[in-house]
Amino acid sequence: MKRSAAEIVREYGPFPGVDAVHGVTYDGTHVWFASGDRLNAVDPANGKVARSLDVAAHAGTAFDGRHLFQIAEDRIQKIDAVTGAVVSTIPAPGGGGDSGLAWAEGSLWVGQYRERKIHQVDPDTGTVLRTIESKRFVTGVTWVDGELWHGTWEGDDSDIRRIDPDTGKVLEQLDLPAGTMVSGLESDGGDRLFCGGGEAGKVRAVRRPRRSEVR
Amino acid sequence: MESLIIAAARALEAGDPLGALNRVALRNDAPSLALRGIAMAQLGDLAKAKTLLRSATRAFGQKEAVARARCVVAEAEIALVSRDLSWPAKTLAGARATLEQHGDLANAAHAGHIEARRLLLLGRIDEAERTLAGINVSPLPPASLVVRELVVAGIAIRRLKTKDARAALDLAAKAARQAKIPALVAEVDSANLVLETPAARLIARGSEHPLLLGEVERLATSTALVVDTFHHVVRRQGAVVRLGTRPVLFALARLLAQAWPADVSREALISGAFQARHVDESHRARLRVEIGRLRTQLRPLADISATKQGFVLAPRKTRDVLVLARPVEEKHAAVLACLADGEPWSSSALALALGMSARTVQRALEELARSNKVQSFGRGRARRWLTPPVPGFPTRLLLPGPLLKA
Repeated sequence: MKRSAAEIVREYGPFPGVDAVHGVTYDGTHVWFASGDRLNAVDPANGKVARSLDVAAHAGTAFDGRHLFQIAEDRIQKIDAVTGAVVSTIPAPGGGGDSGLAWAEGSLWVGQYRERKIHQVDPDTGTVLRTIESKRFVTGVTWVDGELWHGTWEGDDSDIRRIDPDTGKVLEQLDLPAGTMVSGLESDGGDRLFCGGGEAGKVRAVRRPRRSEVR
Repeated sequence: MESLIIAAARALEAGDPLGALNRVALRNDAPSLALRGIAMAQLGDLAKAKTLLRSATRAFGQKEAVARARCVVAEAEIALVSRDLSWPAKTLAGARATLEQHGDLANAAHAGHIEARRLLLLGRIDEAERTLAGINVSPLPPASLVVRELVVAGIAIRRLKTKDARAALDLAAKAARQAKIPALVAEVDSANLVLETPAARLIARGSEHPLLLGEVERLATSTALVVDTFHHVVRRQGAVVRLGTRPVLFALARLLAQAWPADVSREALISGAFQARHVDESHRARLRVEIGRLRTQLRPLADISATKQGFVLAPRKTRDVLVLARPVEEKHAAVLACLADGEPWSSSALALALGMSARTVQRALEELARSNKVQSFGRGRARRWLTPPVPGFPTRLLLPGPLLKA
């Protein structure tokens, strides 16, 4: 396992009217983050909120190319990214104990915080296809280049870790400075990982180490 | 943090404890227990709230120090509001330090204010003031500012500094309107009443009239000889004779002062100070001894001369003698003075605050209850006492800010 300090490239926020960030995703142009009763789209170039959708948004956020997925209470809402309308909902696998959310390979990946688990879920039915065990509280999940990354947050300690999707074994770990919280995680498809900053109300961009560097 | 917990926490913050309970009623993980505890506290079930918060503190992991500390602070506030003064102050101090270390300054300040209120309640004014001075958060949220200024006003009132009290209450009223919490506005209003209600009685030359707190304060600069029944002292400006541990001497001084410039008969002094029904020669002998002792004590302020039928006070350097007495002279005035804050008290908390034995307080309360001057609710250790004119039991709970976000 390779372990290093997370390199924070940039910080966005705090944003007016936002007291905490609960989930993060990226649609190719904007970074979306959940702030309780709203989804906000931030332009990563200038850090400004470009638009926002009035929708219950209590935890993880994901994007499948057309729709935003957003955890609210004990369900996952599928939201039209253009109109903001909730198209459908499925039950969340953790029954409300759910935290992070990612979309990849036709499935939703849902972190269950205190249970320290990641569930692979059928996005149409909510059926749990399989479950990966982590060793830490899970606060954000993302897939990039076949790598499964998730954020952790226990007490004062937060890190971002790449785990083996089959065994749950930690392959790589990026430690955030003490007291910096990770709530929500998303890759931009390149070398940036966006993470929610919890109560700090911020979104941070962290450098994702290259594969070649890992080996 | 989990989605349902965040939804429930948001409901609580929006003043919807039932909405919060709906979301976490059946869950028993640590944050759910904490949320249920806070919701129950807001709904007024303090006993249940206490149990839930204690379970939550246990259920949070070792690493979740901030969450645990916030639960401890909530539990301490509930203890304060239910007048459970035996609650361990050390635990609260520990939680406050943890919150400070982790940068949660708003909740650390909240913990400090609870500490200061407890000390004020216990009459430890200097310590309350020191605690208040040690809280350094700027700017304080309006609700916290209200609490702070109420403590400042409480300290000023106990020290008879009416001007300071009024200034603090004005600040508190302003902050309460900003906080938009009706219970806080009401609390400031009722604190204001203290300044408008007679705080004492003045007895001079055989007549008496009620005094407001401000008038009592002005009396401190008067050149008269004052017999002060609040503090059991005799004083003239800066010169003070303390008779707190000499009740018989104080009673004699008071009887002489009330009658001044007239004298008091031996019979009246004996029955008033010794509580004797039939006066005999041994009482007369004792009176001579006690008057001698009082004369020694009062020497810098007054002399006591013998008259044909008794004794008369002869004040030095002044032509005035006043007695400062409680507005209503009650046998159990001290107990009633505590209960006058309108909060439910346990008899053990009263004993702690008054420095009396639990049994003495119990007897006083039972006697007061028989004459309908106090009432009680609850049974056994949970029994609480209060004075009748209080409508309901104001909770005054603010609870730690964002209890559950971390």
